[in-house]
Amino acid sequence: MFYFHHINCISPQKTFSEIDLEHINTPVGDKLLSVEPAYEGIPLNILRRMGKAVRMGVGAALKITRQNPDGIIIGTANGGMEDCIKFLNQVIDYNEGMLTPTNFVQSTTNAIASQIGLMSANKGYNCTHVHRGLAFENALLDTAMLLRENHGHQYLLGGIDEISAYNYNIEFLEGCFKKEKITGIDLYKTNTAGTIAGEGSVMFLANNNPAGASGKLIALRMLHCYDENDVAEELKKFIRSHFPVSEQPDVFFSGENGDNRLQKYYDACEQAFNKETAVVHFKHVSGEYATVSAFAAWLACHVLQTQKLPMHFLKYAHSKNHFKNILVYNNYRGLQHSFMLISAS
Amino acid sequence: MEREALKAQLKTQIIQFLNLMQVKPEDIRDDEPLFGEGLGLDSIDSIELIVLLNREYGIDIKDPKEGRKVLVDVNTMADYIEAHRTK
Amino acid sequence: MSRIFVTGLGIITAVGHSVEANRDSLSKEISGITKAQFLSTKYTASLPFGEVKISTDELKNKLNACEKGVTRTSLLALHALAEAISSSKLNTDELRAQETALIGADTVGGMCLTDELHHDANTREQGSEYLASYDCGSVTLYLQSKYDIKGISNTINTACSSSANAIMYGARLIHHGLAKRAIVGGCDSLAKFTVNGFNALHILSDEPCRPFDENRKGLNLGEGAAFLVLEREEDITNKHVYAELSGYCNSNDAFHPSSLSENGDGPFLAMKGALESAKLSNGEIDYINAHGTGTENNDEVESRAMMRLFGDVPLFASTKAYTGHTLGAAGAVEAVYSILSLVHGEVYPGINFEKAIPSTGLKPVTAYQKKKLYHVMSNSFGFGGNCSSLIFSRV
Repeated sequence: MFYFHHINCISPQKTFSEIDLEHINTPVGDKLLSVEPAYEGIPLNILRRMGKAVRMGVGAALKITRQNPDGIIIGTANGGMEDCIKFLNQVIDYNEGMLTPTNFVQSTTNAIASQIGLMSANKGYNCTHVHRGLAFENALLDTAMLLRENHGHQYLLGGIDEISAYNYNIEFLEGCFKKEKITGIDLYKTNTAGTIAGEGSVMFLANNNPAGASGKLIALRMLHCYDENDVAEELKKFIRSHFPVSEQPDVFFSGENGDNRLQKYYDACEQAFNKETAVVHFKHVSGEYATVSAFAAWLACHVLQTQKLPMHFLKYAHSKNHFKNILVYNNYRGLQHSFMLISAS
Repeated sequence: MEREALKAQLKTQIIQFLNLMQVKPEDIRDDEPLFGEGLGLDSIDSIELIVLLNREYGIDIKDPKEGRKVLVDVNTMADYIEAHRTK
Repeated sequence: MSRIFVTGLGIITAVGHSVEANRDSLSKEISGITKAQFLSTKYTASLPFGEVKISTDELKNKLNACEKGVTRTSLLALHALAEAISSSKLNTDELRAQETALIGADTVGGMCLTDELHHDANTREQGSEYLASYDCGSVTLYLQSKYDIKGISNTINTACSSSANAIMYGARLIHHGLAKRAIVGGCDSLAKFTVNGFNALHILSDEPCRPFDENRKGLNLGEGAAFLVLEREEDITNKHVYAELSGYCNSNDAFHPSSLSENGDGPFLAMKGALESAKLSNGEIDYINAHGTGTENNDEVESRAMMRLFGDVPLFASTKAYTGHTLGAAGAVEAVYSILSLVHGEVYPGINFEKAIPSTGLKPVTAYQKKKLYHVMSNSFGFGGNCSSLIFSRV
């Protein structure tokens, strides 16, 4: 498919200018909020208007835009929701009277991609994919197609979602979050419904050039399915189509999130691997959100580059000391599933 | 309200309403252009300031183009408020 | 590369609940811009809208779609999707096949339910039935579940060009062998939220909109949905083909979040790119279904961009004076209209036009005419500078 370069990640952990995944931040209540950088590259005049999703998106993208990408492709399920509800609250509070438009303009999910385009005067392809748990995967697919159509081009590709007060409230009412306090990997030991809320912004420069790449996206598969056995079958087919019969991926990134209603999917998929494959879980550091697969892709590239995998990520003790490829499985709400196969470049 | 106090209040309101970062009321000169150079506001800000005039001072400006004639600098805004405020 | 043909159409707008009904209204210059009956906003007293003339409850009953949490946006989409599937004669196996993609687009999602959203976003009491229905993706997910569609699915939101991009994405999936057929389109419903948003920007007109007219005062918001079925030429046997999707392009104006640049680089590049992808010269475009919202900014910039690209601008008109600006649905709605023009060899006039914009002198088509058309361009330019252009060709 293509190569990842120049990856930037704003997340609840120290992942932006310096990366430290040994000492991890733990949830505050049931939320893992991002560690936001100082956003030095964003002029104050523009920063003042931005809601968190837009500033995280722009913040992670800015340096990459200096590579003059040929287009911008973003996946976000709820980008701009905070501004959306702020505007909605104005509508109600002022009974549809005179309202300030900034919140409305910033509330559209394409505000992130368009702001990045605006600030970098980028007139190329610009698209925002909003298909909930597969928003980032569709952004990946769009990018892969663009790079086949335009072999020498490069694209800014990203996945971003925020915990806005309002989004969080809606999901809280849906019963998405843990009631008990979570401090880290105890997330996976709870056997109760719910998970912890997360947010993040991950931006990549994607092209067909292996030199200096952080990782390579080998394959991607998306599924809509409620049956965990069907998902596991598809995973086995995916593995067979990319590995010789005697081989398996070095690492399996499981998107398990501690929600016991969804554990059956992850358990079924884990069965596809033998003891040779290290099993990693990561949502105790990222939290759960619709475009968390972007964080997973970042983490995969980071692990492949540094060849370091801190212990708290490992679901089972493992002695593997060299990683050539990582298979990521994630699902959102038990309906939207994806497999990503990422290898060292 | 006394004019100097009005201008001081207006500057604070402009900063809060437009979320101007790292700008203090004393940084804004009374005759500093709000748009173009000076404070460098844009068309969306002009709409926001019209809303500010409505919410804080009960002034109704229906046409944004008319509004730009009022929104030249803090002085012209203060003049207009003194002449037209209903709050 | 395979040629992509349109084998199915479905549409619902303020001027009709079917392809035939829409065509009838366009041909007879009957506008659907009226006082809204179902939309709940104080602005129904002062602003006209392109409201689909059926209540949400009637839609639910007509479509047998009374599931918990279903929204007006989803119902409009379902209505149009059903017609498209029927017109393309897709059977259940084909719909469920892994090679059938569904690409939707919308900007409103479930935000048409303003009061419920306000409650669910702000209070900790019992949530409404719409908790999972607010985001844009919820609409496509609903359609997927109704038809058990298992292939690649996606939702795109690029403001007013959303469904044009959905059409493009579906076509590209087919070109890349990732789908054999793609059902593509978009929808949006009128919402208090959007009405107030556009009103806050002072771009709504209190009269029926006048695209490209010197005295235009702004746009009218509308609602609707439209879907197309795209298939590869080699896969089509014994099936009616409406038109070919022969070219497309997406580019960005990169100037301002809610208005186009004076030069109209975004529109210009989108149109130019579409011509290049269709391998057509300027002179081969017979008609342009313009974005033409009726706002001061769009119509002047769009005119200039057309003049810049074409020199001698082809016949053009905007159909938004019939339907209003249907936002996420606009690209697909106007794609259907462009295709109808090709199929029936007719040009629908731009209504409410009297006098050209002085700086351009451009006049849209103002009377219905029969004319054999070979290539029609359809343009959609949105907030965030998202500009898309599609070209459909006669088969």
